[in-house]
Formats: sequence, C-alpha cells, structure tokens
Amino acid sequence: MKNLKTSTFRTVMIMAVLVAFSIPSFAQQSKLTDPEIASVAVTANQIDINYAAIAKEKSKNTEILRFAETMSNDHKAIIAQAVALVTKLKVTPKDNAVSQKLNADAEKTKKALKAKSGKAFDKAYIDNEVAYHKAVIAAVEGTLIPATKNSELKELLQKAVPALKTHLEHAEMVQKSLSK
Amino acid sequence: MKKVILTGSIGICLFSILFLLNGCSSAPPKPKVYTVEIKDMKFIPEDITVKKGDTIIWINKDMVTHDVTEEVSKAWSSGPIQSGGSWKMPVTDEANYYCSIHMVMKGKIELE
Repeated sequence: MKNLKTSTFRTVMIMAVLVAFSIPSFAQQSKLTDPEIASVAVTANQIDINYAAIAKEKSKNTEILRFAETMSNDHKAIIAQAVALVTKLKVTPKDNAVSQKLNADAEKTKKALKAKSGKAFDKAYIDNEVAYHKAVIAAVEGTLIPATKNSELKELLQKAVPALKTHLEHAEMVQKSLSK
Repeated sequence: MKKVILTGSIGICLFSILFLLNGCSSAPPKPKVYTVEIKDMKFIPEDITVKKGDTIIWINKDMVTHDVTEEVSKAWSSGPIQSGGSWKMPVTDEANYYCSIHMVMKGKIELE
C-alpha cells in the first residue's frame, strides 16, 4: 500500500514537473508566428477540456466534478472567442512544434490519469491542474503575449490570463481541501 | 417701533414653520441604481455601499460565464450570467456574495 502511494506520488510529481518546465521553455525556444500562437492557444485550452472530460467520467468527488465542469465551460468559451477572432482576422491557426509537444505530453498525462481511480485519481487530476495552469500562465505571459504581433490576438491572450490565474487559485483550493 | 419688531419676528417664525413643513412633506429620495462590473475575474467594486431599496446591476464583461450568489446561506442567486449579460437585484439587506462557478471571486454589499 505504501509502495502504491509512493509510486502514485512519484508519477504525479514527474507529470507535474514535466508540464511545468516543458511548455514555457519549449515555447521560448521556438519563434512562433501569430497563426502558430493561435494554434498553441487553442491546443492548450482543448487539452484542459480533455482532462476535464476524464475527471467527469472517473471522479465521484463533488469538488472535482464542479471544478472539471468549470474548466470545460471556461476553456470552451475561450476557444470560441479565439475562433471568432481568427475568423475575423482571416488567420488559419497553424500546427507547429509547440502544439505537437503539448499534445504529445497531454497524451502521456491522460494515460496516467486513466490508470488511476478513486482518491488517487482525484489527487492526480487536481495536482496536474495546478501544475498545468502554472505552466500555461508562464507560457502565455512570458512567451506568447510578447511574441504576438497582432494587437487583437495579443489582447485576447491578455484577457485570458486572469481566468487562468483564477483557475489556478481554484485548483489550489480544491487541492488543499483534498489533502485534509 | 415695538410693533414693527413684533411683526418682523412673527414673519420670521411663520417663514421658518413653512420651511420646516415643506421639508417634512417632501418625498423620500428616489432609490438609486448602482453598477458592479464583472471584469478580469473580479467584482468591481468588490465592496459596495448602498441604501435599502437601491438596485445593483451586475454586468459580465468577462469571456466566461459567472454568477452572483449570496455566500452564507445561498439565500439568493442570479443563475448563470453569460459573457455580455447582466442581472439586477433590489437590495434588501447586507450580504457577502461570491461567484459559485469561480469560488475565489468574492464581493460585499453594505448598507448606509
């Protein structure tokens, strides 16, 4: 039992560290164009919607379910605004190395989450949400916003930051509540 | 001379009484309408002081859906307010409120 707990903890920590360090550094290394930035933004939002779908399927914890519902709705709303903007600007989001890396990492995380159940799943999900939101905030503030040329796209990314920070605060609140 | 002073005093008294009566019979001040913006995941202003009977309108200027819910006993709630939407409520009491979708967003209504 102790080994299982240690193993779960180790997996979660590795996932969290991978997420926290891979997005900002990888995005910084690549010089992104606006269509690529739009693709990264949509991909990052879609990944969190996918994590929420797994949580809604696997968790029975009310706090986790409510948080997952909020993530699903909010990130869908952000994608809708992004799609409306790129349609207006006649920009087609362009797949790129950062989007691909995000998707590849997300596949590993989804696999790890799906392998868990009960309280171990709830903990893994919320720990990943904390790490993922920290990483996305760092990438959006530190790399994507400074690299964006179009002022409306830049404004959209800036408007998303308070929502991401509130999600992080909410995730940390749920994380604290689960650890009691 | 005494008569003039007496007449003047009576005049001042009558004027004062009329002035006071007029003040007493005037209608109470009309209830006011206040606006709270929901912007950047905050209620702006977070703390608002109004009179009982005044109305507050919450306007959602964020990209995401919010609500306005009494925090202690969920005595009242707006239900979901979509981006660009609004909700108004006549104030009957003081309250701490929050967004039940994003529970870290909090606001307060105080009475004058």
